[in-house]
Amino acid sequence: MERKVLMRLDRVTKTYDMGEIKVEALKETSLDIFDGEMLVILGPSGSGKSTLLNIMGGMDSPTSGLVIFGDKNITAGGEDVLTQYRRNQVGFVFQFYNLIPDLTARENVELASELVKNPLPIDDILKEVGLNERMDHFPSQMSGGEQQRISIARAVIKNPRLLLCDEPTGALDYETGKLILALLKKINQETGCTVILITHNIAIGAMGDRVARMRSGHIVEITENLNPISPEGIEW
Amino acid sequence: MVMGILVRKLGHFIRRNLGQFLAATAVVIGGIMVYISMNTAYYNLSQSQSLFYKENNFADYYLQVVKAPEEVVRQISAVEGVKQVTGRIQKDLAIFKPNDERATARLVSFSLPMDNELNRITLDQGRLFASTQGGSYVETVVDPQFAPANHLNWGDSIGVVVDGKEKLLTIVGSASSPEFIYPIKDTSNILPDPLNFGIFMVEQQQAQQLLGMQGQINQILLEFTPGADQQQVVAGVEEILRSYGVVASYGRKYQISHAVLQGKLDGIGSVAIYLPVIFLAIAAGIQMIILRRMIRIQRTQIGVMKALGYDNLQIIFHYTCYAWAVSILGAIVGIILGTILAGGISELFAQYFNLPGGLKTFDIRTIQNGLVLSVVIGTFAGIAGSLGVLRIQPAESMRPEPPPSTGQSFLEKWSFLWSRLSPQWKMTWRNIGRNRGRFVVTMSGVIFAVCLLIMAFFYNDVVDYMLKKFFYEGETYNITVRFNTLINDNELININHLDGVQKIEPFIEMPVKIYFRDRSADEVLLAYPEDMTMKKLQDESGKLIKVPSDGIVINQRTAEKLGIKVGDKVEVETMLPYGPTHKDTIQIVGDTQQLFGGGSYINLDRANRLLQESHAVSGAMLNVDTGKEAAVEEQLNKMLAIASVTDREKEIRNFNESLGVVTSFVSILVLFAILLGFAIVYNASVINFAERRRELASLRVIGFTIGEISSLIFKENLVLMIFGIMLGMPVGKWLVKSYVESVSTDQFSLPVVIYPTTYLFAAIGGIIFVIVAHRFAVKGIKDLDMVSALKSTD
Repeated sequence: MERKVLMRLDRVTKTYDMGEIKVEALKETSLDIFDGEMLVILGPSGSGKSTLLNIMGGMDSPTSGLVIFGDKNITAGGEDVLTQYRRNQVGFVFQFYNLIPDLTARENVELASELVKNPLPIDDILKEVGLNERMDHFPSQMSGGEQQRISIARAVIKNPRLLLCDEPTGALDYETGKLILALLKKINQETGCTVILITHNIAIGAMGDRVARMRSGHIVEITENLNPISPEGIEW
Repeated sequence: MVMGILVRKLGHFIRRNLGQFLAATAVVIGGIMVYISMNTAYYNLSQSQSLFYKENNFADYYLQVVKAPEEVVRQISAVEGVKQVTGRIQKDLAIFKPNDERATARLVSFSLPMDNELNRITLDQGRLFASTQGGSYVETVVDPQFAPANHLNWGDSIGVVVDGKEKLLTIVGSASSPEFIYPIKDTSNILPDPLNFGIFMVEQQQAQQLLGMQGQINQILLEFTPGADQQQVVAGVEEILRSYGVVASYGRKYQISHAVLQGKLDGIGSVAIYLPVIFLAIAAGIQMIILRRMIRIQRTQIGVMKALGYDNLQIIFHYTCYAWAVSILGAIVGIILGTILAGGISELFAQYFNLPGGLKTFDIRTIQNGLVLSVVIGTFAGIAGSLGVLRIQPAESMRPEPPPSTGQSFLEKWSFLWSRLSPQWKMTWRNIGRNRGRFVVTMSGVIFAVCLLIMAFFYNDVVDYMLKKFFYEGETYNITVRFNTLINDNELININHLDGVQKIEPFIEMPVKIYFRDRSADEVLLAYPEDMTMKKLQDESGKLIKVPSDGIVINQRTAEKLGIKVGDKVEVETMLPYGPTHKDTIQIVGDTQQLFGGGSYINLDRANRLLQESHAVSGAMLNVDTGKEAAVEEQLNKMLAIASVTDREKEIRNFNESLGVVTSFVSILVLFAILLGFAIVYNASVINFAERRRELASLRVIGFTIGEISSLIFKENLVLMIFGIMLGMPVGKWLVKSYVESVSTDQFSLPVVIYPTTYLFAAIGGIIFVIVAHRFAVKGIKDLDMVSALKSTD
């Protein structure tokens, strides 16, 4: 079956200038991301996986190389293009949630929904993440797992084509982490949204359609997972 | 050693947050600059004043008599409590000026040598009058403004009218004296008018000869022995002079030039205190905000320091050093700038006040006080700002701080309104709710800056208002004439017949003494006909005053002095410098307070009854055809019985010209206001931005544009701006009112008039400094590094 490419990274290099020394975080990395897949990027810290994710999410620009989303080169338009790209195509989920402390759960999600023309219905999303009861609470009144669900709701309300998750379970306990992964899987399956999940936790690779392994700024291996297992079955 | 490292740590912090440090310092600089410049100017001027008074032996008390033999001086000097006494002549004469205009010369005589006399004069230019002069040649020295204003050179002669005949005086120089620092004719004039009024100083015997007063004087100056019972001394002197007709008797406080000068000096003195104090209080608020935030960020570092064994005192000392850095740097720069400014301000004011210039521009006591003031307020801010150190526990501080609890906003109680707000506005209101202290301090700064703007523009308003009220609205006449003596109103027909004169209305201006119970006061009675049309009498608030058919509408300040209430009956004694005095009992039927000067109102007929006359007038107002004013003036100037001719247009021009100093004062105030407003809003925005980096980075990631982030931060500034301006207006009005009260004197009080345009300009000023400060503070938005802001967990 011919798979449709959603995003193409072509020989992407990212060099950080640290004064005297230059650090090459990504070295000529190429990668195709397919529409609707769940891609897990694995790697130890310092392997360049976060840099890759930042570039895919339009938070950072490559030093050289191309990033093509659909048929558009997002590296060629500067700050405004990147902002519009993040606004309309991408949803982010972070390790530390990054919710707005001054807004309630519902208001945090509303904040994102106001940015796009056709957001998903907010009540459905809150129900989906299982927090419609707690929607008037502030982040400071919620557990880590609850905050992460809100963060996911905030990401998906915009109905993005691409959901980028940076260590989404990194700050959570084992049980809660698994529930979050299950939620991400469900979103991937039910909405067809492409999900890219970055983690150093090798066990999580088992739930992806594909697994990319990174080391020292390179993708060293991409494996296809013909039978991804459900998050409930993952042990670490 | 240890402290050295902490100082270096502080240095790093200051470098990294330089904008904030400079903003806080700028407010301190502003405060100290105002403090130093205004206090130095005040000090300089007071010094100059008292030195000038001392050098010229400025008298403590004045008594005017109709005429008295010179010998009374010896009698008076024997009165206990009199240290020194000078007898002289002071008389107003009409001037024949070369261009035929009419003006008044106040002839004052001086005995040579002057060494032991009171109210000596200091030669300004030219030379002093000679001690012996031959024949009818009379030398005179004029006040410093008169000669240049009238384009007169040394050696020029000027004619004065004595008993209806012209006598020539030769001007040989100019001189100043404490009693003529403001050469103002009487309390009905607001400003010196050198074109129409001059002081003519003449040798005593020459003066006596000129006026036909050989061996006589009409004014006594007194200096009291320190500690003497002045009231008793005056009573003793008045007893000696009783038979010579005491026309006026007043202390230095009521000497017109001194009263005007003192009032202005007091005004500077009060601005010099309260303006800097408000500045420094706001600077202290800013420092506290910065320190509180610093301590919150450095929570872990403080925990580490405590774990290492530093005690609370050392750590608080470390943070207080920041406040010291701000206050000492601010004080040093403020002192330097203030001293530079003080030179200019002192010279400007000295010129304006006609005080001798060449003042030294710094006063070491003021500088010391400025430094101490700044450091004391800084220390207070430092300690108060760093008390949070006490609450930090070493172990706890190593763990990340729990997420900030949410600030509840009072608005949330009104759910109808709240539910309509966008998430951005909800963030704004809750952020304000969480940082109430900071918001209040910043808001006070904005309010005060708006107040300063109102205050600055108020000066323009009040000048304009007075001009309109005094010269335009109230008065429709073109020319005022005053006669040498009381004349019969029949004689006005001569004036009425002049070509161009449309209408004429008479008045009497007469000095009187009012007695009530055991007190007495000098006052000017202004008598007008009941059907007067050319002049509207108005009180301070612009309300019309009706000329009473009987009785006196008394000036409030005089009423207060005497303890008079409406309905009381007073004894009035006329004090005209010619003719017999008359006494009568008159009822007080009303009271009033005018914008300028004093004077109490009475009906023209009633004044005539008091004078035991029937048709007497002392002056008249003229309506003249447009274009014929000059011709009429020329005709009037040729009439001998006329003492002065005042052209309203000229008065207005003269008034306007003397207002240059107001403009510079307004500009300085506006500058300070903008500096203060900018610094405080900038500081608050920088902190707001820094504290919310992570939050804002998240928003950038979600897809907010730079403009949307900027507008989010701006919402808080918008709240500051709207409320600051709204509250700044009434507070500004109040500030103006209390300022006016603090500078009002017996002769001089300003109305509190603030035009709508002033509020508009102040609001525009407020909008500008908030927007500019916001722009500067959020310059860093486009460099906001989403990646690193989101990685860190601080």
